Amino acid sequence: METLRTEGLSKIFGSGRLEVRALQDINLSVSEGELAALLGPSGSGKTTLLLCISLILDPTEGKIVFDGQTIFQKNGWAGVDIRRLRREKVGFIFQAHNLIPFLTAKQNVLLPLNLIGIKGKKAEHRVMELLEYMEIAHRADNLPALLSGGEQQRVAIARALANTPRLILADEPTAALDTGRGAKVMEILIKIARENRTAVIVVIHDERMIKGFDHVYRLKDGCLERDNNADG
Amino acid sequence: MDLAVQDLKHHKGRFIATVVGVGLLFGIVLAMNGIYRGVIYEGTALIKVTDPDLWVVQRYRGGPFNEESSLPEFFHYSVQSVPGVEKASPFIFYTVERMVDGENRHFSIVGYDVFGGLGGPKNIVAGRPIEQAHYEMVANVKLGAHLGDRIRLGLHTYTVVGLTNDAVDPDGDPIVYLSLHDAQEVLYQPDNEEVRNERERLLRTLSAQSWLTPGKAQKLLGPLQPDTHIINAVLVRLKPGVSRGQTAHLIEKWLYLNAYTTKEEVGLVLKGRLTNMLHQLLLFRMLLLTISVVIISLVIYMFTTEKIRSIAVMKLIGAPDRQIVRLVMEQSLLLTVSAFLFGLVLISNTYSKFPRRILLLPRDDAITFAVAVAAGILASILGLRRALKTQPAIALGG
Repeated sequence: METLRTEGLSKIFGSGRLEVRALQDINLSVSEGELAALLGPSGSGKTTLLLCISLILDPTEGKIVFDGQTIFQKNGWAGVDIRRLRREKVGFIFQAHNLIPFLTAKQNVLLPLNLIGIKGKKAEHRVMELLEYMEIAHRADNLPALLSGGEQQRVAIARALANTPRLILADEPTAALDTGRGAKVMEILIKIARENRTAVIVVIHDERMIKGFDHVYRLKDGCLERDNNADG
Repeated sequence: MDLAVQDLKHHKGRFIATVVGVGLLFGIVLAMNGIYRGVIYEGTALIKVTDPDLWVVQRYRGGPFNEESSLPEFFHYSVQSVPGVEKASPFIFYTVERMVDGENRHFSIVGYDVFGGLGGPKNIVAGRPIEQAHYEMVANVKLGAHLGDRIRLGLHTYTVVGLTNDAVDPDGDPIVYLSLHDAQEVLYQPDNEEVRNERERLLRTLSAQSWLTPGKAQKLLGPLQPDTHIINAVLVRLKPGVSRGQTAHLIEKWLYLNAYTTKEEVGLVLKGRLTNMLHQLLLFRMLLLTISVVIISLVIYMFTTEKIRSIAVMKLIGAPDRQIVRLVMEQSLLLTVSAFLFGLVLISNTYSKFPRRILLLPRDDAITFAVAVAAGILASILGLRRALKTQPAIALGG
């Protein structure tokens, strides 16, 4: 089943002579259990596209369909509580881990669960399950500052999985890691997609890291091309 | 999981330093509340302790505490004759600075009719009231004198026969009670050298008049000596059921004097002597509260600014605005309440060491607490504005 689809998505900044077409006619699709990589040089529109499909930035034109439901079309967000959708159905993994520094690893994973109303022992159990799945349970009570970069990223992935998301959006998740740790993170993402039937979209610049991905999209000057040769 | 508490735990040092700093400010605000109440208490203590039905003073004067009121002593007989008056007693009050126990002390003297007159000491905690016409005194314990101490005032020495604990003058200085005539002597009676000089001065003035012979001038010296039988007020006790207002009206109309009830006298002191000081204290309290709000605002703003990326992450993963508002506001309130409690504990344990009376009333503390909480909420506005304007997009990118 298709998790996310964009149709003719465009984003224009400014107007008149200052108009910048950051995204043009983007058609992208990712189904449950699939992984899609977004490749492109700096300034190609990767972050703009990620912001649009993260439901943070309003596209200028086009349509976004999430889980079979049109959530954005020409007139704007179609009566959808965007933040609720994000907290219930989307997981985020960031380039800089972005763990909350004053919360322990365990509490960082607990946060999205609390946001969707899961609290108490049930939440604790789920957190420990995720930390064990990410092989980081032994550092559960440590603050992020005491964890290595790879450990922080594993906690960040556990946090992204906490709400059992339908879609995971990862923004350069290996950028702050060495090759070995980066490859390990990508292996984990593939495992998550396959085991949990979660759709995963990864913005990445290192082509060596996308082995095993189902779709590869290349962005250039705001235009998206599907790289059929690279598709898994 | 309480995010605000977790964050404060992470910044324990800064949190404690801010609580101590702002707590000291709140402590000063609470102390000023106490000083405010203390000033009112002390400013009106003598009036309330004396508590006659009427205070009769010189016409158009707000005396005897707010301004000088001077009446011939025998006026109390005239007041006594007004219908409805049960008792009228002479009363004298003035401030002095004299050596007591080797120290220069500032205090006030009250002179009253010690044989059944109004205006004498109440709540004697040691010794007895004055029983002799001369050379005995009752002093407030704040003076530092002990029973049996002999204190030189003017030409004579007075023995402390009693101690009170509730009579202070409007400046908070202790009261010393003397018999009326002793009080008049201390105030008006010059020593022999002064008397001689004054008589000589007067004689020369009179001798310069061509229509007076030296013999007649000499004879006039006696009657022209300054009168020491002066009082400041007449205290009145009315017969049961007699209207204070009506009797005051009669005294004002017939005797050409002014008469105030104790309540009016308290009002005069509050409006006259104490208004500026009370306004000053109010202004200082407002300034300190404003400074507290500014400090809390800045600290909360700083806390919030440091958390901007975390707030952006929270927004991106779908945290509703109320969660962000709660985080910022709870921190502000925790800071405010902790600082207030620190200030309260501090001042409750030190107020007795202040030189002036500090009256801490639970009602004042409660009002200050409510104002502090409101200030804490106000202080969080700056941080809240910053937090709510944070774009979740900040979380993306390196």
